[in-house]
Amino acid sequence: MKKANRIITVLMFIFLYIPMVVLIVASFNTGKDITQFEGFTLKQYSELFRDEDLLGLLGNSILIALLSTAISVTFGTLAAVGIHRLKPKMRKLVMSLTNIPMTNPDIVTGVSLSLLFVFVGTGLLGNRESLNFGTLLIAHVTFGLPYVILNVSPKLQQMNPALTDAAMDLGCTPVQAFFKVIIHEIMPGIIAGGIMAFTMSLDDFVISYFVTGSDFVTLPVEIYTYTKKPIQPKVYAMFTLLFLLIAVLMVGMNLLQIRADRKKGSKRPESRSWQIAKRCIAGALAVALIVGCGFLFFGNRQEKIVLNVKNWGMNMADGTDETLDIVAAFEEKYPNIKVNMSYYESNEALFSQLSNGGITVDVIIPSDYMIDRMIQENMLEKLNYDNIPNFEYVDEQFKNPSYDPKNEYSVPYTWGTVGILYNSKYVSEEDVTGWELLWNEKYAGKILMIDNSRDAMGIAQYLLGYDVNTVDKAELQACADKLAQQRPLVQQYVMDQIYSTMENEEAWIAAYYAGDCMLMMENNPDLQFYLPEHQGFNLFTDAMCIPTCCKEKEAAELFINFLCDPEISGANMDYICYASPISEAKEYMEEYLAESEIIYPAEEVLAKGSAYRYLSEETSRFVEGLYQNATKTVDTSGSDNGWIVPAVLIVVMAGTLVLLFVTRKRRKV
Amino acid sequence: MKKNKSVLLSVPYMLWMLAFTLIPLCVVGYYALTDPDTGAFSLGNLQDLSMYLPVMGQSVLYSLISSLICLLLGYPVAYYIAHRGPVAQKILYMLVMLPMCMSFLLRTLAWVGLLQDTGIINNILDAIGIGRLKLIRTPGAVVLGMVYNYLPYMILPLYATLVKMDDRLIEAAEDLGCTPLQTFGRVILPLSVPGILSGITMVFVPAVSTFYISQKLGGTDTVLIGDQIEDWFKQGDNPNLGAALSLVLMLLVFVCTGIMNRFGGDEEGGVVI
Amino acid sequence: MSKELIRLRDLTMEFDGERILDGINLYINDHEFLTLLGPSGCGKTTTLRIIGGFLTPTSGTVTFDGQCINDVPPYERQINTVFQRYALFPHLNVFDNIAFGLRVAKLPKEEINQRVQEMLEIVSLKGYGHRRIQSLSGGQQQRVAIARALVNRPKVLLLDEPLGALDLRLRKDMQIELKRIQQAMGITFVYVTHDQEEALSMSDTVVVMDKGRIQQIGKPEDIYNEPKNAFVADFIGESNILDGVMLEDYKVRFFGRIFQCVDKGFAPNESVDVVIRPEDIDIVAPDQGHLVGTVTSVTFKGLNYDIIVEFKGFKWLIQTTDHCAEGSTIGIRLNPEDIHIMKKSEYSGMFGDYSSYSAEYDELTEDAGDEEE
Repeated sequence: MKKANRIITVLMFIFLYIPMVVLIVASFNTGKDITQFEGFTLKQYSELFRDEDLLGLLGNSILIALLSTAISVTFGTLAAVGIHRLKPKMRKLVMSLTNIPMTNPDIVTGVSLSLLFVFVGTGLLGNRESLNFGTLLIAHVTFGLPYVILNVSPKLQQMNPALTDAAMDLGCTPVQAFFKVIIHEIMPGIIAGGIMAFTMSLDDFVISYFVTGSDFVTLPVEIYTYTKKPIQPKVYAMFTLLFLLIAVLMVGMNLLQIRADRKKGSKRPESRSWQIAKRCIAGALAVALIVGCGFLFFGNRQEKIVLNVKNWGMNMADGTDETLDIVAAFEEKYPNIKVNMSYYESNEALFSQLSNGGITVDVIIPSDYMIDRMIQENMLEKLNYDNIPNFEYVDEQFKNPSYDPKNEYSVPYTWGTVGILYNSKYVSEEDVTGWELLWNEKYAGKILMIDNSRDAMGIAQYLLGYDVNTVDKAELQACADKLAQQRPLVQQYVMDQIYSTMENEEAWIAAYYAGDCMLMMENNPDLQFYLPEHQGFNLFTDAMCIPTCCKEKEAAELFINFLCDPEISGANMDYICYASPISEAKEYMEEYLAESEIIYPAEEVLAKGSAYRYLSEETSRFVEGLYQNATKTVDTSGSDNGWIVPAVLIVVMAGTLVLLFVTRKRRKV
Repeated sequence: MKKNKSVLLSVPYMLWMLAFTLIPLCVVGYYALTDPDTGAFSLGNLQDLSMYLPVMGQSVLYSLISSLICLLLGYPVAYYIAHRGPVAQKILYMLVMLPMCMSFLLRTLAWVGLLQDTGIINNILDAIGIGRLKLIRTPGAVVLGMVYNYLPYMILPLYATLVKMDDRLIEAAEDLGCTPLQTFGRVILPLSVPGILSGITMVFVPAVSTFYISQKLGGTDTVLIGDQIEDWFKQGDNPNLGAALSLVLMLLVFVCTGIMNRFGGDEEGGVVI
Repeated sequence: MSKELIRLRDLTMEFDGERILDGINLYINDHEFLTLLGPSGCGKTTTLRIIGGFLTPTSGTVTFDGQCINDVPPYERQINTVFQRYALFPHLNVFDNIAFGLRVAKLPKEEINQRVQEMLEIVSLKGYGHRRIQSLSGGQQQRVAIARALVNRPKVLLLDEPLGALDLRLRKDMQIELKRIQQAMGITFVYVTHDQEEALSMSDTVVVMDKGRIQQIGKPEDIYNEPKNAFVADFIGESNILDGVMLEDYKVRFFGRIFQCVDKGFAPNESVDVVIRPEDIDIVAPDQGHLVGTVTSVTFKGLNYDIIVEFKGFKWLIQTTDHCAEGSTIGIRLNPEDIHIMKKSEYSGMFGDYSSYSAEYDELTEDAGDEEE
């Protein structure tokens, strides 16, 4: 028995720590892939320390954790004292209120808070930027408070009530009694609650993810977007350092405690100098932390205009792989502007984020049909083309496009096609006949499907031979059925994650944007791109726009203008591998890209492509619903056991409710 | 008089909690009951939910299974830790706590690296001639991810109750003729019920609402209710439907934890990690 | 008494290299009420736990009915324990607590019911079966703990400071109650306590222990009247202990005087410890006394006065019903049977001097007997 427990314990620790070991090893890896150790290097660490953004995010996280903990501890301790004095019935009520954030799933707390902030901030107060640092802080305090209360309250209850009386008897006012007596008695609870609130806040992802605005992002939220993209190994380096830091802190705390316990045992009073030394160390640590965070937080934000740009992932040259760092170049040219990049995965996600409201965004780069939709829903600002002189470089064929007929709202950024990327090592050429490759059962489990309703439905429409802009519900339903039929074969529905999955051959077939495919092909030579010309394919344009929730319109226009500079555009295309709507840019692009058939298909090929148009809000919603049902719900039509689970659930619940009722009655007797 | 004054200290707190826990839930309710297009009152969102019943069932099933596995794994571990010397206890406790402080996103991502078809485990299996297995994107992988992430949440409350348990009670049981197994069944287990319930709640609640674990480790069939909520808020632009789902999720959790607590007797859920 | 039931042979016990028990040899008869008495840390609880089977001795054997039971787990021994602070199961009510052992033994329901009810009656808790443990008073919990152990009809009942948590009055009642139960049930009790009065009033046999060794075994009267060494003399009751020299049989010299006594068998001129119980001393007029001293303090104790008398720089405690004024000079007489002679031991010179006497000494000794492990 004892032996079995020991074995289980050892196995459990191995189980808990293996993934962390994997991450730590990955931080010393020369390669990017976590599964292959190619060689030892410390490069990731030096890169980490040069990455101001990443360090800034860490600073943000620590800052919000410190602030929210400080507030929760003060507020919570006082509240606990008040609650302690309440009548039992009232106290029970307040405690159940306290338990709400504890028992409620994080996602519900996050969703409810974000809805509240937007509802009140934007809906009632008309503040466009209703999700901001303040709301994030409120959220963190809200879930930190219960930890403080739940730790302090028992201490208050255990405390001898005569202590307060004794203090007051000896001449203390109630406030003095609190600071001279009570606070010492409940200190362990305050500390425990504070530590819990701090760690919860530092590591919180789910709630922050829903209430984060664009001005202040914490590390876990950003890591979430990192994990959707090919992750940069310096993140592993940061993980390793944080791991060490926390381990050292924990060991230190434990040592102090063990020491204190021994002291207690020996009954020898703590020496005065050691007490002073302890206080000094604690004080110095606190000051260092606050100064450090303040530095990280405010150091980056001197009096600069912050330009919030929302872009697709991997859609702007960032200096890696010897490309131009466009943001850096822009900031160098306009030193008073700081660009703050954030990302979205699909047009629908972007639309969702903007229409949910509460955030400030200055520049977005949606696709054609989405621009159309946004114009119709009054979500875009008209551009002042006087501030965008480089617009003249844009080719005539891209001016006055159908989605923006008078060209008032948008400046094209890139254009391209959607095709199939496959790995020639595993996929035989005779199977590559058209979109049906994505439905080929031979490759079940190795197919990646694009994860947004419009592109996925579009592919089904090309395959079935429907018009891509059909509003016929029967046709749309047929497309959804086709997607549902594909589902068992699909490994994952992905967007940016496609990179790592295709490159390390975890999946073999994917539908994606030509430019990104080109990028992946550079990293894995077995990958091939295929455009089903005979069935048709999507021809898209991404264009830069300024949404109505912008704050810095002029800076935004400067940025757009900067990106239209042919030289910049060319350098940008070198990285993202899309086609530029500015022909002159080709001169600055690497030759093999400028001449690539994948990026710039021939005229006759292009003629077979078609563009998506915005249909209507009703159809969009209809399509979205169809898509979600076809791809994201548990399949109920295919197998008939889908209903068993909920049926069992209902029976169990009903049964327990009955039991509950019965037991309760008996208790009353 | 003095008493009345200090009672006032709890008033701002009550207002804060009302404003940021109860009222937001009402806002969720409001969104859930309004039509996304017109903003008028509608039961449409709730009616649409019937489609998601299987997803909910699946979420509950997976998280119940994970809670159970966590309990089976966590109990011996907690028991083992609770019966070490004081220093060993501190060290082991710390080792359990430590992973909880690290980014769960990255740790879950590491499992992707371990489990995927071209991942570390499969590479090893391949190298020793067993061949690659389908590990990732299965319900098993999702359950594994849940167990991995939430196991410490099970161990800590269990440890807290086991360590508080009076050794003399165990001796008394042995004295009265219980074999070790009977002692466990008749005394130790019933006395650790509060810890077990608190542990199950602490595993079940985050597990049933997760979206990251199923996103990373699950396949196209292992969609959970959390995924749906995230999708409707962040991708699908239908916060109303998302709010309806959140509402149901919340009710689900309240019913489940309520039942568990009811069966646990009226001990105040005194175990906070 | 009847036959021997339990025998401990050369028991030693070590924890982390520290010797807790050092060569314990002891036998316990059937139907006997045996008390292990000693200050905290003397090893009495350890001895009890070894008998109960919760500890395995480092060396030595425990035999039960002639069979070695060193390796028999507690649940297979015909021995039950009443624990320090009771160790009642908080998740079970009174009835279920008492029925616990019977249920484990899988007795039929009716029998369990009947025996538990019977037991409840014996411990005067009839009608308390459905009460929660937390709702009982200390004395009631105590009775439940006893009932829980006795209901199994053990051959031996071990009681580990069972009355330690009760107040004085209740303790006295329970002492009588326990003795009554022991006689009614006719089983062996092994009782651990640090309270000498409890030990003397209840036991058939008292075992005085200190520092892991048995200091003396005997009937309560013998222990009191014939202590073997200064430790026992001091621990059981009050004693004035003086250095003396045994001149020959029945003749002892101390304070420069030769006294008649009833002890013999010492070597000529062997130095010895002389014990004089404070209540045995007769106060007389100064001119009639063997010794003359000055009263330095007087404390009223209800039944008697405790007075401290100084003789040539050495202070004695004398218990008397007569009042003496502080500062007065008195004489004392010692009869031969009041003088008890002991061999010198490691405890000589450590006890029996009342030079630092204070009225609180009673409470101090009481505090010393807290918990031991």
